[in-house]
Amino acid sequence: MNVLEMQNIRKSFGDVSVLRDISLTVKKGEVVAIIGPSGSGKSTLLRCATTLEKIDGGTIAICGRALASNVNGKEIFAGKKDLVEIRSMFGLVFQNFHLFPHFSVRRNITESLIHVRKVPKAEANAVADRLLAKMGLSEKADAYPCQLSGGQQQRVSIARALAINPEILFFDEPTSALDPELTGEILKVIRELAEEKMTMVIVTHEMNFAREVADRVIFMADGVIIEEGPAFDLINNPREERTRAFLAGY
Amino acid sequence: MANLQSTILQLLTGMKFTILIFCLTLLFSLPLGLLVAKGRMSGNRIVSGIIRVYISIMRGTPLMLQLLIVYFGPWYIFKIPLRDLTIGDLDYRFVATIIGFTINYAAYFAEIFRGGIQSMPLGQYEAAQVLGFSKSQTFFRIILPQVIKRVLPPVTNEVITLVKDTSLAQVLAVSEMFIAAKSLASAQVSVVPFVVAGVFYYIMNGIIEIGMNKLELKLRYYS
Ligand SMILES: Nc1ncnc2c1ncn2[C@@H]1O[C@H](COP(=O)(O)OP(=O)(O)O)[C@@H](O)[C@H]1O
Ligand SMILES: [Mg+2]
Repeated sequence: MNVLEMQNIRKSFGDVSVLRDISLTVKKGEVVAIIGPSGSGKSTLLRCATTLEKIDGGTIAICGRALASNVNGKEIFAGKKDLVEIRSMFGLVFQNFHLFPHFSVRRNITESLIHVRKVPKAEANAVADRLLAKMGLSEKADAYPCQLSGGQQQRVSIARALAINPEILFFDEPTSALDPELTGEILKVIRELAEEKMTMVIVTHEMNFAREVADRVIFMADGVIIEEGPAFDLINNPREERTRAFLAGY
Repeated sequence: MANLQSTILQLLTGMKFTILIFCLTLLFSLPLGLLVAKGRMSGNRIVSGIIRVYISIMRGTPLMLQLLIVYFGPWYIFKIPLRDLTIGDLDYRFVATIIGFTINYAAYFAEIFRGGIQSMPLGQYEAAQVLGFSKSQTFFRIILPQVIKRVLPPVTNEVITLVKDTSLAQVLAVSEMFIAAKSLASAQVSVVPFVVAGVFYYIMNGIIEIGMNKLELKLRYYS
């Protein structure tokens, strides 16, 4: 089954057409990397898939649940109740973490479990502690985000996204806000998730990482997919001139 | 010496009202201010327009005038004889005082809250939304606690101003501390009652400042 299915997505901001008829499907266990120049619409695509933006046209389904569908040319969006359920099937990791600064690390992870998913507190704490151990942050459970390095904060935000046990995880340039020496720890975590067959869509500028971890790479420019293919092939032997020119910069 | 003692005792009776006006005003105007701030930011243009006018009137006219209008308004506009009304042992003068102070301070608090709410990064809302928090959960669990920390210094300023503003209740002849000081001063032909009243206000504000500092320190566990 396709975990993510996006068909013919169109999205404009005012007169600016940012996504122009983009389709993207992701199978269970697949890791897809999205690369492309800045301003090409990569973040917008993720934001459309994660309910942060409303598309102008096209269809989106996550695990078969329609987020946006098209009936006789009319866009129909999921209602409030469906949205809550659809949001329990994916996680999103932001470039700038967006942790809740007034909550401890543990509470950043448990808050939505307890108050949205209605998981008992003890159980939620157990989930948080297990994920923090996995992220190598057990001793930081009671710290506050401001006391952590950028890399540690990003690992907490990955743990927060993993807490609901999502079917698919989206990353929007998860290492771009980090000092170069801290990117490695995040890439390592994502690599481990890939080994566990976590379904992931990752917007990234780390070409070596994309080639190594992704099954498939998508090259986007100006709101369209220029080229896509197996990660190794696309990065080592791009077919399109645009892709070649872009990769030459790395 | 005995004179000073009786002055202090008589002023303390007035102080009871001063503190009551102060506490009731905060109790009502802080939540109301939050509501007004939300209305001011409402997408509904009529709501936000009306609230914008309300805020500008509250901030653009003297509080003393507002108190007089709340007190005399019902009589002049609706011919309702509220002036002679008593609610329990509170007479309408006191009720009007609290209403006047509340609607005035709510306007000031609303603008402070609005600034605080609008200073919150969009990412906090987006992270909450993706995690499934409802709009009200997002506001009360994620946004408001951070806003409170951000607005504490300007709120403290308003609270200190409120202590001094309570003396304006004298225009409605509410027997708060300032009115007591005035009548004592003219009876004794002395400024001592005024000085004592000044010391009271000063002490009250000192206590408030210490309390607010403590709160600020308590919220310093994160940045
Ligand atoms: N909220 C918005 N309002 C207006 N324009 C936007 C908004 N978000 C993105 N854009 C524009 O859409 C285009 C694509 O942006 P984005 O998806 O962030 O690209 P990328 O992530 O590939 O760098 C850019 O030209 C950007 O300026
Ligand atoms: Mg981007």
